Parts: sequence; C-alpha cells; structure tokens
Amino acid sequence: MRLSKYLLLCGSLLFSHAAAAADLPQRWVSSGGSLSEWVVRLGGEGKLVGVDTTSLHPQTLRQLPSIGYQRALSAEGVLSLRPDILIGSEEMGPPPVIAQIKAAGIRIETLSAKPDLETLERNVLRLGELLGAPERAREEMAAYRQRLQRQADWVARVREKQQAPRVLMLLGHAGSNVMAAGKDSLAVWLIEHAGGESRTEHSGYKPISNEALLAMDPQVVIFADRSLHGEEARKALLQQNPVLQQTSAARDGRLLTLDPTLLVGGLGPRLPEGLAELSAAFYPSEQALTAKLDR
Amino acid sequence: MLRAQDLSVRRGGATVLEGVDLALQPGEVLGVLGPNGAGKSTLLGALCGELETDAGSVTLDERALGQWSGQERARRLAVLPQSSTLSFAFPVAEVVAMGRLPHDTGRVRDAEIVDAALRAADAEHLRGRSYLALSGGERQRVHLARVLAQLWPGGEGQVLLLDEPTSALDPLHQHTTLQAVRDFASQGAAVLVILHDLNLAARYCDRILLLQGGRPHAFGSPDEVLQAEPLRAVFGLDVLIQRHPERGHPLIVAR
Amino acid sequence: MGVLLLLAFWLSLALGPVSLPLGDTLLAALRLMGLPIDGEGLQQAELILGQIRLPRSLLGLCVGIVLALSGVAMQGLFRNPLADPGLVGVAGGAALGAAIAIVGGSMIGGLPPALAPYLLSICAFSGGLIVTAVVYRFGRRDGQTNVATMLLAGVALTAMSGAGVGLFTYLADDATLRSLTFWNLGSLNGASYPRLWPLLLVTLGVAIWLPRRASALNALLLGESEARHLGFNVERIKLELVLCTALGVGAAVAAAGLIGFIGLVVPHLMRLLVGPDHRVLLPASLLAGASLLLLADLVARLVLAPAELPIGIVTALIGAPFFLYLLVRGRA
Repeated sequence: MRLSKYLLLCGSLLFSHAAAAADLPQRWVSSGGSLSEWVVRLGGEGKLVGVDTTSLHPQTLRQLPSIGYQRALSAEGVLSLRPDILIGSEEMGPPPVIAQIKAAGIRIETLSAKPDLETLERNVLRLGELLGAPERAREEMAAYRQRLQRQADWVARVREKQQAPRVLMLLGHAGSNVMAAGKDSLAVWLIEHAGGESRTEHSGYKPISNEALLAMDPQVVIFADRSLHGEEARKALLQQNPVLQQTSAARDGRLLTLDPTLLVGGLGPRLPEGLAELSAAFYPSEQALTAKLDR
Repeated sequence: MLRAQDLSVRRGGATVLEGVDLALQPGEVLGVLGPNGAGKSTLLGALCGELETDAGSVTLDERALGQWSGQERARRLAVLPQSSTLSFAFPVAEVVAMGRLPHDTGRVRDAEIVDAALRAADAEHLRGRSYLALSGGERQRVHLARVLAQLWPGGEGQVLLLDEPTSALDPLHQHTTLQAVRDFASQGAAVLVILHDLNLAARYCDRILLLQGGRPHAFGSPDEVLQAEPLRAVFGLDVLIQRHPERGHPLIVAR
Repeated sequence: MGVLLLLAFWLSLALGPVSLPLGDTLLAALRLMGLPIDGEGLQQAELILGQIRLPRSLLGLCVGIVLALSGVAMQGLFRNPLADPGLVGVAGGAALGAAIAIVGGSMIGGLPPALAPYLLSICAFSGGLIVTAVVYRFGRRDGQTNVATMLLAGVALTAMSGAGVGLFTYLADDATLRSLTFWNLGSLNGASYPRLWPLLLVTLGVAIWLPRRASALNALLLGESEARHLGFNVERIKLELVLCTALGVGAAVAAAGLIGFIGLVVPHLMRLLVGPDHRVLLPASLLAGASLLLLADLVARLVLAPAELPIGIVTALIGAPFFLYLLVRGRA
C-alpha cells in the first residue's frame, strides 16, 4: 500500500515534468502575498498546492502547506509538494535553493514586486496566460485600472475643496512597540493615493519617538496590527502609547484600523477597495466611492 | 649544571632581584629562605627562564637557557610552581603522566615511571582518583609526582626547582615530601627549593641562600646561615639556635 | 560514537521532506559512488540525493566538526569549560560582516554578478578573522599573549560588533531585516558544492591539525608556565589555537550562518563522557559535533516541512535539555 503510493508518486513526478513543457502548469506553489491573491482572483486557487508565510489572504490560503519565508525557502520542501511551477518575486531565495529547484525541472516564474501599474499589468497578464485564463486577466486588469483612475479623480476633486489630512500609519503586533511607516513603504503609497499626507522622513518602518509623534500631530492615525482587530486593536494601541491621546487624531476619534495583509508584497487585487475605504475616512464629509462605506 | 651569574631583575622601575650568583651542584639541595617579597619566586622565575633578566645570565651546562629547545630543556629542568590552575577532572595518574610529555620513552616505561613517582611522593593511593576531588595538600603531592616523573629517575645534569612544595601539607607530609626530594637529589639531580619553615630548611638542605630585599644576605651551609644575627636582620625575628638532639642540625626557636 | 555519526549521516541522506523509497535511495547512492547501476527511474532520487541532500549533509558534517573542535580548542586555551568559540570575537565579527553584506549589499546593489552570491560568505569570514585578529592583538604584550586580557577584549569587541549589527539592523528595510534574522539563526539550506569546498578544506585542516596538538592542550590545562616547563612553545600554540578557531568558525559561519550551542556544549558533553584528555576528547567531540549537527538539521528539515526551521533553534532545543540532564546526573 505504502510502496504503491511511492511508486505512484514517482511516476506522477516524472509524468508531470514531461507534461509541464507542453501543457499549462497544474500544481502551483506561490511565494508572495499579493501574487497568491492574484492567482486566487484569477480563479487559480484550486491549482495552488503550497504558499509562503506572507500569503495570508484569503483566509483559505492558510490551510495550504506553508513553504516558509520567501527568502529562506527549502529546496526539498518545495520539491516535496511536486509543483509544476514556482512563482514569486525577485526576493524569493536563497539563490542556491532556487537553482536547485530549477535543476529539478520545476518551472520558476519570477514576477517583479515593484509597486507600479505597468509591472503589475505585466504580472497579471502573465499569470493569466499560465493559468489558462488570459481573458479573465485582461478584464480584471482593466477593471483594476479603472477603479484606480476613479480613485485618483475622486482624490483630485476632493483636494480642490479640502486640505489633505496629516496621516500616520503605525504597524504593531499585539501591543509590542509600534513602527511608523516611512517613505518608499507601501503604506505611505496607500496614504498618498487615498488623498492623505504623510510627514514621516525616514524610509521603511522605524520606531518613532513620542516627541516626533507630537510634533507631527497627525489628524488621522491608521493602525495595522497582525493579531488584534477593530476596537481591541484601538484600545491596545492607546494603552501602549498614551501620548497618542494628545494628537488631533485621537481627539477627533480618527484612529482607523487596517488589514495588514494589504501591505504585504506589492500591489494586490484588494488595493482599490482599501484605498477607497481610506479615502472615505480621510474625507468623511465627501460622498464616498464605495457603496459599502456609504453609511 | 644550572648556573646564575650576577642576576638582576627589575619590575616597573623597582629592582626586585640584584646581584645573585649561584650554581646548583649535582646531588645537592639548595634552600632559598627570606621574608615575603624578598625575591624568592622572582629568583626561581629567572632561573627557569620564565622571567626576563635585566642583567646577568642563566646557563644550563654552559649554554644560555634561551638557546635550549623547549623539549631538550624540559628533559633536564623541571619546575613545580606554588599553585596550579588545573580545573579539569583528569585522573591523578594522567596528571602525573603529563610529566612524561617531553619524553618519548614509550607507554610502558612511562607507566612505570608514573607509578614510581607517585610512590615517591606518597600519592600512590590517589592514583585513580579525579584530580578535582583531591584536597589542596593531595594536589600538591600529585604535582610533585608530576615534576619528579618529568626527570625520573633523576641523575647528574638534571635540575629540579620547587616553589614552596610543602605550603599546603600536614606536618608528616612536609617531612615525607622533603625526604623524597632529598632521595631524588641523591641520584644526582640538583634541587633548588623555596621554603618558609626554617627548621625544615635546616634539616633537608645542604646549602641555604638567605634573601632580603632582592639581594643575597647570606649564602652557605645551614650552620653558617641559620644564626641569630642574619635571621634577625632578615626576618626581624629574635631566635634561639639550638641543636637537634639526634641529628645535630640547627634548631631554630623563636624567643 | 563513530557508529552514531554513520547513522546520523545515513539518516540525513535518507530522510527529507520528499519521501524516497529506501531502495531508490540505496541504488541512487551506489550510482553516485560510481557503481554501474541502471539509472532508469532513479533520476529524481539521484537529483535529490546528489544535488540537495549530499552537499547539505557534507556541509553539516563540516560545520559540526569545526564548531565542536573549535569549542575544545577555546576551552583548552582559556582553561575554562564554559568557553565558547565566540569568545575570541569570531562570531561577533562574522555577524557584523554578514550584516554589512546583507544590508549594505542591498543598499549598494550593482555588484559584479560573479561576486554577489559569495559576498555574504566573504564578508562574514573576513569579519570574523579581522575581529579575532584585533582581539589577539589586544592580548599581546611584551611578546606574550595574556589570555585573560584577550578574553576581556573578546567581550568588548563582541559588544562593539553587536552595536555595529544593531546599527545595520536599524538601517535595514523589512526584507533585509528578516534575512539578517534568519542568518543569525543559521541554516544548512541551499548547500551546494562550490560553497562547500572552501569549508571542506578548512575542516580537513583543523581536523588533522588540532588532534596533533592534543598533548599541548593537555599541558596547557595545567597552566601556561607549566606547559612551558614541559617543553611546549606556548605562545605559538596559543596563536595556532586562535588561528584555527578563527579560520574554522569563520568558514563555518560564512557557509551556514550562526549556529550556537554546538561549540559550547559538545566539548562539555564529551568531557563528561570520556574525560578531559584531549587525545580522546578531540576525536570524540569531532564525531559528536558532526552527529549532533546532522540530526539537528534533520529535525529542522522535517518538523515544519515543506518549510524549514532555522537550525540554530533546533541545536539549542535538543542540546540544552540534554546538557541540563547531564549536569543534574553528574551532580547526583
């Protein structure tokens, strides 16, 4: 029984290699949060047999075998999932492991994680081809572009009437010290495209001092916590950082929480919704873009 | 033969040893006496090449000590320091066997020598014990056995330097140890031993060097050196000199 | 002990996230040894065995040997059973080198492609060597090496390296930060032959050279002057021991990151089992270090498969309780 399973396994391994060259890859391993999300959006969830630790959305992906952190993949671990293809960003590694996986005949598709629309479009169309759904990929991409355009128009219109609020994004984990999002981070990209203004000077995510926080006096604070949500996260944040009480954001009750999976690994398919939500919170007096938030 | 000529050692500007001339004779036990800080250990350090001298020379068989290769020298010259830092659980026999490291006499011969040296130091019964389980005095005897093994069986041309080998010993073992050293010297080796006990020196040494402030104060036979005058000058101690009722060597009693 | 190592080595070849039938593994192993066996249907086994598991197992073997032997050397040099190869600053320096490579490399970018994959290893190795050299230099005075001064200098320079690593940690962006963290926990992942050879050479050197100094190490335990009186050139031996450790640990860390615990505990364990005599202790530690590392790597590969755990976590998790057990048993 066991032996026959092994034989079957080996047989299918060899067979699938042969098939992969001609046919579309059937067994997918995805490394990178937003890539996995796009695969799901394009209808490929059934083909995924493994994802990395940053692939957290949708929740169902967390049921799949985890191949670990994208920069510390294990060659044999990936091979044990018998994939036809491994997709990931250029951060995927370490390089010798990628070489070993390639040597085992697994197709490797490196898709840039650069946060700009052209790169994203190339990636999405490529995923569409590989999934055998090029049409769907084109449609999704067109809709995506359209929504981002509407978002940009909306922000431009609002900005003519109102000043942009000062927005600060804090990243935390269950009450640990928070980090402020700085330049070049996806978080600040989000803030700016949602019509807010970020005043942090550093790049990446860095701890921020109380004085700097007070000097900045953010009008809106967005908080992304990996383990706490909603009201709970808000409470924990204020408890850990009482100085926040002194900011305009806290006085006006403008502490927002954000799903941190939005911030992982490039432009994901949920980005337009996220932007629209943020915009609505930045400019509460304006007619919001999304029906969902139109309350 | 180990010979020191006009030795002097300075440390941080202060002279800690000056004008020492001595030659260790085969078969002779030379005792070094003096109060704390008189330069006894410095002398020993200079004699074995451990300390650099600022003037004078130390020669072993007419050859400067520094010109001997480590192994050759170790076969001729053994040193027992005041205390040892060994903090690993070697069996006693292995500690003593380290004395055979400079030699290549073979496993069988080495084992015989280790046994003989342990017997000589009255440490035979400790043979299989762990070094760390020993008392201070037992450890001291084990190290004595080690340096004896290094020169065993001892003979003319060999030199043994001992720094207070009896400091941790009970009265009985002070005597057995020094007797073992005497017996070893009788095979032909030259021995220099630093002692604190004047009566032990009187009984076991052939010659005595009395140091004060890094300079030799008196040098000669026990009868010549162990007199009330020099002892008062060096130790500041008033003593009576008697004779040992049976052996006849000087017996020193504080007044 | 030798049997244990053979067993560990075989297990590390035979087991992995990809389950291969035992027969295939055996046949593929024989084919890799050059025996004329029909390769039909063995490609997969041969690839996994030859290109993934064998280099990895060899790497584990080397790293385990070098770390354990260096541990023995340092405990002998410092005459302290709690000494660790990191004491002379080699680990701290290597970590700083790695931080410079990981963080700095990602900032500069444009390196010659031929050099880039080896940058981390080269930086870690040179970092370890440089810091050790400085530590050794601090210990030297009047042509003698003061081991106690060296120890303190090692502590100070390790702290300074730590500050350097901290600075780079602060400068790092999220992704490089995680690379740094993973590197600090060590891994045999991604072993390949070109990266293996330098370490293999160093390991061979250390494994041949150190046992020849077993007697000197024994004598050194008596004390430095005692060792001199026994005819050993103590200054040279100290230099050789430090050099051996710096080269060995430097190369191991460059190839597999920081793997703690092996260098401290394997020699200690073996001393409890076979006694402090270096003529026995060195070979025993060599075998035990290699075995423990291979088994730890096996756990690291299997427990979270298809992902894997950094091996540093495993070595500490397996070794520390075992160590405690031996301590308690030893006292009773």
